[in-house]
Amino acid sequence: MISISKLLCDLDAEGDGLRYDAAADSGKPQITDEKQRRPVVVWNATRRCNLYCSHCYAAAETVPAAGEFSTTEAKAFLDQLADYGAPVVLFSGGEPLVREDLVELVAYAADRGLRPVLSSNGTLVTREKARALRDAGLQYAGISVDGLPERNDRFRGKDGAFDAAVRGIENCLEVGLKTGLRYTITEANAADLEGVVDLLVDVGLDRFCFYHLDYGGRGAEIVDADLSPRKKRDAVERLCELTLEYHDRGEEIETLLVGNYADAAFLVEYARERFGEERARVVYEHLERNGGDPTGERIADVDYAGNVHPTQFWQGYSLGNVRDRPFGEIWEDESNHLLRALRNREDHLTGKCASCRYQSICRGASRLRALATTGELFAPDPQCYLSDEEVRGENPIVGSAAD
Amino acid sequence: MVEKARRVAVDRDARGNPSSQWEVFVRDEKTEPLRHAGSVAAASATEAHEHASRLFGWYAVDVWLCPAGEVERHSTRGLASTVDDSADETEPDAECGEVRVYEETEGTPEERDS
Repeated sequence: MISISKLLCDLDAEGDGLRYDAAADSGKPQITDEKQRRPVVVWNATRRCNLYCSHCYAAAETVPAAGEFSTTEAKAFLDQLADYGAPVVLFSGGEPLVREDLVELVAYAADRGLRPVLSSNGTLVTREKARALRDAGLQYAGISVDGLPERNDRFRGKDGAFDAAVRGIENCLEVGLKTGLRYTITEANAADLEGVVDLLVDVGLDRFCFYHLDYGGRGAEIVDADLSPRKKRDAVERLCELTLEYHDRGEEIETLLVGNYADAAFLVEYARERFGEERARVVYEHLERNGGDPTGERIADVDYAGNVHPTQFWQGYSLGNVRDRPFGEIWEDESNHLLRALRNREDHLTGKCASCRYQSICRGASRLRALATTGELFAPDPQCYLSDEEVRGENPIVGSAAD
Repeated sequence: MVEKARRVAVDRDARGNPSSQWEVFVRDEKTEPLRHAGSVAAASATEAHEHASRLFGWYAVDVWLCPAGEVERHSTRGLASTVDDSADETEPDAECGEVRVYEETEGTPEERDS
């Protein structure tokens, strides 16, 4: 997760310590004072969802799945995370609000010292539910809106989903719950990018998360609908410009990029071109502390059946199952060569990634996209949109920071 | 002090998400034992092998696969161990020849009279 607003506009956020080891320099209360050593854990609390989105990485269905945790099992699982020292648990799905015990589990996580946050389609967030979640200790709700009404509803498989999501956002805001909007860009909704950012501000939100499509779950079935790398670059550049325009007008929206660490290199290039070498250097140094793609290191996923994945998008491979061993044991077990290689991927990356100038702040971006499109785990990410000059050219910032 | 490991049977059903899970075992070197390396989701043994080969074929000598639902698991540290102390325990007795362990060498076994 890369914050455009932090890197280009100096907007402090409560994740600065978590993401950049920059808690001391941040004006906001911090999630943690030190850069995370343990992963943020996404928990697909259920497979069931009231929508049927075409890009769903969890391949959620409208009917319940066998193997979901009981309330008691879920608490034991949260105990595992707390005992291991996971900083954050992200309740996801499916749609987590279809679980009747969600409020109880959020409260339990908070009591155990985990920071509970939520990923939801927003359509089931009534004001009463938002209040109950807030009172239970929920720290943040990320609501998915993948376009303006027509495109969003087509994407999400249900008429009225957009309006229901906006009502959910408003309900969260009315009870004082920190809330953000999540948008996954594809060919089908790229035209709505600016409209969604404008909507964000209109409803009173100040946090926008821009997701690249990853090729897991149903996302793997719509690879053809992903933007070309060139169009992806244009979209990221437009979001940078939008962020700057809003900040220039005094509206300090927080904008974040998720799922393609070519964005890190792009931001350095963008900062140099727009603001000069000094800003580019600052951006680069922050991104070095951020550490590049977090798969298998700073992000983990546990699905509804207890399978542990290197990232939430990589549902096809599991490192182990928390029904067999505690989460921390699975995550620390580097006898698994794949896990160890992901954590030392610089030694394995091939093609242009092997010698890329920006390797230390990107780290090859998505291994899942590379695997899905080439069959090679350490091949270049097909969604790398950097030019040959950017990959290979002389770069004084990279050179000096690495010294 | 000699103690017995207290293992609890782990539910082997419904691990698919939604595709069936196949446990993966790999051998790093010819002379080394197989090692469990997680599981892959696949609809068939052939697909599971192809999937596992993409993940582990770059270094493994051998890759074995087993349907996750066919594996009997008994764990001292699984989720069920902490959920319900009375749940479906596998408490071996002396007659069955269950290996005894010493606390300092394996997990945190519960002390038993013997």
